[in-house]
Amino acid sequence: MSLRYQRLLLILITLILILIAVMLILFNAKENISYFYTPSEINSSNITINKKIRIGGFVKKNSFNKISSSEFNFKITDNEKSISVIYSGILPDLFREEQGTVIEGYFDDKKIFNATTVFAKHDENYMPSSVKSKLEDSGYWNKKY
Amino acid sequence: MSSLVGFISLSLAIGINFFLLFSYFFLKNKNYNFNLIVRLSSVLTLISFFSLMFSYVTSDFSNFNVFQNSHSNKPLIYKISGTWGNHEGSMLLWISILSIYGFLFSITKVADLKFKQLTLVIQSSLHILFGLFIVFTSNPFLVNSVIVKEGLGLNPILQDPGLAIHPPVLYAGYVGYSIIFSLAIAGLLNKNNDDEWLYIAKKWSLISWTFLTGGIALGSYWAYYELGWGGWWFWDPVENISLMPWITGLALVHSLLMIRGEQILKKWIIFLSILCFSLSIFGTFLVRSGILTSVHSFAADASRGLFILLIFFIITGFGFLVFLLRTPENSKPINLLFVNKVSALVINNVLMIITTLTILLGTIYPIIIEVITNDRISVGGPYFNSTVIPIMMPGFLLMSVAPVLSWQTNRLRNAKLYVLGFMIISVVVLIQSYFTTFNTWGVLGLILGVWIIVASIISIFSSYKIKFSYKMLQKINPHIAHIGVGIAIVGITCSSVFKEEYDYNINEGDKFRIKNTFITFQKVETTNEANFQALRANFLIKKDEKLVANIRAGKNYYPVSKMITSEAGIFHEWFRDIYFIVGDQKDNNWFIKIYINPFVSFIWLGVLIMVLSGFIGVTKK
Repeated sequence: MSLRYQRLLLILITLILILIAVMLILFNAKENISYFYTPSEINSSNITINKKIRIGGFVKKNSFNKISSSEFNFKITDNEKSISVIYSGILPDLFREEQGTVIEGYFDDKKIFNATTVFAKHDENYMPSSVKSKLEDSGYWNKKY
Repeated sequence: MSSLVGFISLSLAIGINFFLLFSYFFLKNKNYNFNLIVRLSSVLTLISFFSLMFSYVTSDFSNFNVFQNSHSNKPLIYKISGTWGNHEGSMLLWISILSIYGFLFSITKVADLKFKQLTLVIQSSLHILFGLFIVFTSNPFLVNSVIVKEGLGLNPILQDPGLAIHPPVLYAGYVGYSIIFSLAIAGLLNKNNDDEWLYIAKKWSLISWTFLTGGIALGSYWAYYELGWGGWWFWDPVENISLMPWITGLALVHSLLMIRGEQILKKWIIFLSILCFSLSIFGTFLVRSGILTSVHSFAADASRGLFILLIFFIITGFGFLVFLLRTPENSKPINLLFVNKVSALVINNVLMIITTLTILLGTIYPIIIEVITNDRISVGGPYFNSTVIPIMMPGFLLMSVAPVLSWQTNRLRNAKLYVLGFMIISVVVLIQSYFTTFNTWGVLGLILGVWIIVASIISIFSSYKIKFSYKMLQKINPHIAHIGVGIAIVGITCSSVFKEEYDYNINEGDKFRIKNTFITFQKVETTNEANFQALRANFLIKKDEKLVANIRAGKNYYPVSKMITSEAGIFHEWFRDIYFIVGDQKDNNWFIKIYINPFVSFIWLGVLIMVLSGFIGVTKK
């Protein structure tokens, strides 16, 4: 094979591989992206039932309720609005009232959020920057969270 | 006192490097010992590091950093690891490792002295950049303004032997790329254009890659048993960030192999060398700046982020600028045939770079979207699984036979044997999965993993006369590394595809059964340990009426930081792990989650083999 032909072959293989990668990315990106909201950003217009989203805020004081050893309900709030959440499973170690948390799940109906995953942070001082900036905007940012 | 020593020696080390830089460019008369100066600055940096460690060990709370991150009743090992368990200390560790690499390079033999000096000068410049970053934005030697008797304590989740050694090993990998960066830039700038540096870079790139592999695996193993999620990889941004330099580093190791076939893709090697270190710094920037929403907690301080971003742009910009201005010519045309070693290596490099780009895209996509549309999104693990894995698959197929492909010709020896082996494995796996649970990914992963192992073994036996000696081990080293990868693939596939999950709401004394394993949930106890309270549930595991294990799982409560950590209980068997997590309780009724993770130990075994073979590779001439 001549050098030129070999280079052409190489470029062709590369292009095909890149094409496959792009196709994979495009096909997979849509289903696996979840939007992130704070409780006050959620209103009846942007709720799609059974669509996976994430909500970030902190657990409202005195809202945590243990239904059984594996079922819980609580409210997640940004001090403007709060949303009722039910979750079954194991809560992360750092999950506590008045602590920051991010939950992933979907709305069963327009009112109750069904959490499939509750994220906690490795560090109690930690809060996602997106939640932090939102809370700072609304004036409720407290260094303790 | 030790804080003062630490700060002064760090400043002196930076000062010495400034002198080195200044004298290299402006002093004509270079009658001083270059190596000695570099070593002096390395020793000073290490003194600085150890004086911080000393403050931690002696619980010197007059140091603000110690006060914030330590507590006098911690076990000694966590006092030591506390040194790098925080942002400031970890940056000091970073620069210490940077100077250790400088030191080690200064004592290695390099024929071209000018080239060696140039490399050391570049390494010293990196030292200056990171040194200034520490002094101005993350000084670990600040004095506490109030006198206190007790510190605030180290984050309990970090109090774990695995995580104590994870950062130094990981950093040894990340920072190792600094010396490769310096070598590549020096190689570009050096007028005497020979290829000696490629042989030197080959060793260092293997060292860095091996440490990086070990570091990532340690972190992953820690996540597996400490975080209580039942998994070991979560496609968290912090993990992705470590994976990017790992893959490009692997591409670099492989393209440096081409020196042996005298097929030098010089441009590409230099590009990769710069890219590896850039990705290491880029990762540090993303992690430290708090731009990425990650479950890992690190200081989210904007000024630090900006400073690292600046360092990133200086180093990357300078690196690629030099690369563009002084692009070397390929000394020999590459001998690219349809199926020879060179084309296999080239395709493998292309695949690895595409993989890196895919991960990069998924990791920074949320940032781009937030900047453009103000929507906040997160890209979940499934994205990475369904893009990265298919892209890598052809590479896995290729790596099984690549080491025995010839450099010059198109022929594969014993090709029939390989084809036959592949067919047998495919049929066996297909039949096996048809009778158990069929899963496309499971089948593909198993075929590939087993095939890599088998093909490597066939290659070893068909191409070498087996003797039991270290030399032999060095010879078959590439195959050994690939066997490690194969074992890890089998582990990864089985543990993620065939994982089973069981939930129980049970009382103390209850018994239950998972297949042929009988488990008794014995009583829950609480005990007081040195710096925490432990709550442990006992599980008796019986098989064929025989007691095989007593597993304890539970939680720890750390009064100093008022935190709870989960302690998963794991029953290790050769072919599966039974993984216990204790959840909440209500009226004596406990929630217990059990994962059956098949073949998880294969992952760690595979990685261990890769690391060992990495070290064997370093000793090879």
